[in-house]
Amino acid sequence: MSGDNTAIEKDRAVTHNTYFLKRTPGDWVFTIINGLIFTVFTLLCTFPIYYLFINTISDNRLVQQGLINLYPVGIHFENYISLLSVGELINAAFISVSRTVVGTLVMVLASAFVGYLVTQQKMLGRKLIYRFIIITMYFNAGLIPWFLNIMMLGLTNNFWGYIIPGIVAPFNIILVKTYIESLPKELEESAFIDGAGYFTVFRSIILPLSKPILATIAVFGAVGHWNSFVDSIILMGSEPRLYTLQHRLYMYLNMATNLSNLMDSTGNISERDLAAALNGRITSLTVAMVSIVPILMVYPFMQRFFQKGLMMGAVKG
Amino acid sequence: MDKTIKIKSNDMPMIIFRLFLVFAFLSAFIAAFNPARLSELINSSMSLFTYALSYSTIANNFIRALNQGWIEQTPLTMLYIGSLVCALSLALVAASFCLSLGNIKMKRLGVKFSFGAALLGLSGTLVLRIAYSLFQNSPNPGRIEPVFPVGIWVYAVMFTVIAAFSILLYIKLPKAAADEEYSLEPKYRLFLMILPFLVLVVLFAYLPLAGWRYAFFDYTPGHPLTWDNFVGFKWFQFLFNNPAQRAQIVRVLTNTFALSGIGLATSWLPMVFAIFLSELRSTKFKRTVQTLTTIPNYISWVLVYGIAFAIFSTEGFFNWFLVNTGIVEHGTNHLLSGSNMWLKMWAWGTWKGLGWGAIIYIASISSIDQQLYEAAMVDGAGRFKRMWHITVPGLLPTFFVLLLLGISNVLSNGLDQYLVFENHANRSTIEVLDLYIYNLGLTGNGNIPLSTLIGMLKSAISVILLFSANRLSKFVRGETIV
Repeated sequence: MSGDNTAIEKDRAVTHNTYFLKRTPGDWVFTIINGLIFTVFTLLCTFPIYYLFINTISDNRLVQQGLINLYPVGIHFENYISLLSVGELINAAFISVSRTVVGTLVMVLASAFVGYLVTQQKMLGRKLIYRFIIITMYFNAGLIPWFLNIMMLGLTNNFWGYIIPGIVAPFNIILVKTYIESLPKELEESAFIDGAGYFTVFRSIILPLSKPILATIAVFGAVGHWNSFVDSIILMGSEPRLYTLQHRLYMYLNMATNLSNLMDSTGNISERDLAAALNGRITSLTVAMVSIVPILMVYPFMQRFFQKGLMMGAVKG
Repeated sequence: MDKTIKIKSNDMPMIIFRLFLVFAFLSAFIAAFNPARLSELINSSMSLFTYALSYSTIANNFIRALNQGWIEQTPLTMLYIGSLVCALSLALVAASFCLSLGNIKMKRLGVKFSFGAALLGLSGTLVLRIAYSLFQNSPNPGRIEPVFPVGIWVYAVMFTVIAAFSILLYIKLPKAAADEEYSLEPKYRLFLMILPFLVLVVLFAYLPLAGWRYAFFDYTPGHPLTWDNFVGFKWFQFLFNNPAQRAQIVRVLTNTFALSGIGLATSWLPMVFAIFLSELRSTKFKRTVQTLTTIPNYISWVLVYGIAFAIFSTEGFFNWFLVNTGIVEHGTNHLLSGSNMWLKMWAWGTWKGLGWGAIIYIASISSIDQQLYEAAMVDGAGRFKRMWHITVPGLLPTFFVLLLLGISNVLSNGLDQYLVFENHANRSTIEVLDLYIYNLGLTGNGNIPLSTLIGMLKSAISVILLFSANRLSKFVRGETIV
């Protein structure tokens, strides 16, 4: 699959070069303006993250006055170190990491297994079962019934409330099923002839062969888990020990916005509130930076997988 | 015995028996059938399954009652043991369901299992019944507010029926041959492997639909749903007849349609992005642009708000820029202004999604036949002619599908973005349907029936829109989209 892609890329590169053999002045103008527009948009996408970063490592007094805008001044890393002493943040980071690791692992294994099972022609009511699972993508009962249902099942204020509702992911099941159907049937059949059971075939043939697609859904699943915060807000309301990092960040940002509002509207604000507002700004930015880093770390992997994943997603299940 | 009256493996009684077992198992997850809700102090929206998880779940409801001596430890322990026994027997019920799919020998074992399960379940129900008496005779019944859960009857009847059925089937099932071994046909084996996942699908995707009933009751969380507070179409009438409520809905729908409308009107942007990107010469530059512009897609809306906060709040970059270029004298917090909210929200959405949205078009462009371009060049077509007459027609099918999906999602703007950007200054123009449902149902006093009703209407309309879009796609392109 990836071989095909690179072949296409090379092909395109060649064609483009050939039709740039005779360059007219108009071509040059077009290329420059076009390139310029894309450069600006790319900067627009990346500068904010850079801006966030330089504000967390610069001299805090300058940051509080809003004077760090283009490059860092007085580089230090104390903001990051001081986060380590905030118990609720360490706890939140632990929850975020746990739910990402456990949730992704369970989801990937379940998608692989279900995706494999629905390719088995012998299953009782196979088509019906597959439709029964897939159709859940297209309807939902709505936020409130969903919440009351989770509460009824005892998963509110419970760590498993992050994990269990996400185990069966219909879209990922489609991806895995489509992928497994593209694998040669002979391997599986010969294993069955040798007397292997369904579990053995799944573990020793299907799992190793579908690594590429499993890696794709794992990366996307992990990013989804890391980024989700609405479930933490809605489901874990009265259990602060289960708040995720993004939920904490949301609370800090709200607090910082409210204090800044107080400052703007009344003009006179107590010294303590002012200090709190400005410290809140730095804390929020630092926590935001900490939450972005894992995404940027898995980003190269996503780059490798996403095109492939998307192409396969375009193929209907 | 006469062979003709023997029950064959998949006769009607067997099927009914299995249905009973499935119902019994699922009842563990349904709050209305919970036989263990013996007191008003216990949250009415918990199922038996949650009681059996841990003793503390139950005891937490009685902290005050225990401290005040209104109740003793014993009834609570009995309540927990009763729930646990019932839950265990339901696990056995599930096992006997699995066994009932096997050959005769396995079926006979399954029937024994279900008989044991029924006896165990009956004794668990009895324990709960005794616990109820203890609740009634507790030192201060007025404070404990004992209630007799209908679930006790449901469970008693259910387990009795299962026991009776088990005996009947045990007599009627033919004896297994002496040398027969336990076995299960592959079709059932595969079915049983996928069954746990089907249970999850039922629990998390289908069971919530039962929550639509809240739209017909005067329901407040924590209180039981009884026929006393059934109000029929009261909330429907309230929604359409109450002027204040109608004004709210009109405002929220205006926001929803405005934001979706702007999104749909600019949904060609990713396509244009992809077309112009593919016209760039350097592959390296193309790669870089593509990589860097997709980063925002992967960060959560909270982080996007963090970035917005960094740049647009009083001490942020935007004010620094405005002050330094002399446009304004003092910075203000731009996040606290409610002006142009629709455009701002669209801008953030585009910032986050444009590069990502272009990927599918970039992939489609690379699958357009290169010979078309060469032929066009030979015929003297310029760059824009080639873009307009070859690339754009090549991408239109994809664009059409995404547009239809967008139209069917016109009511669902999502919650995350608007939740994080919402504050007191911009609430009236940012509140879209999803956020309104959240605010109405889950914050403040929480009007569960009304928010359920609005969500229900929204889901119904969305499904209708999706199927219409699908029909339209089939009509226009001869291909469905879902």
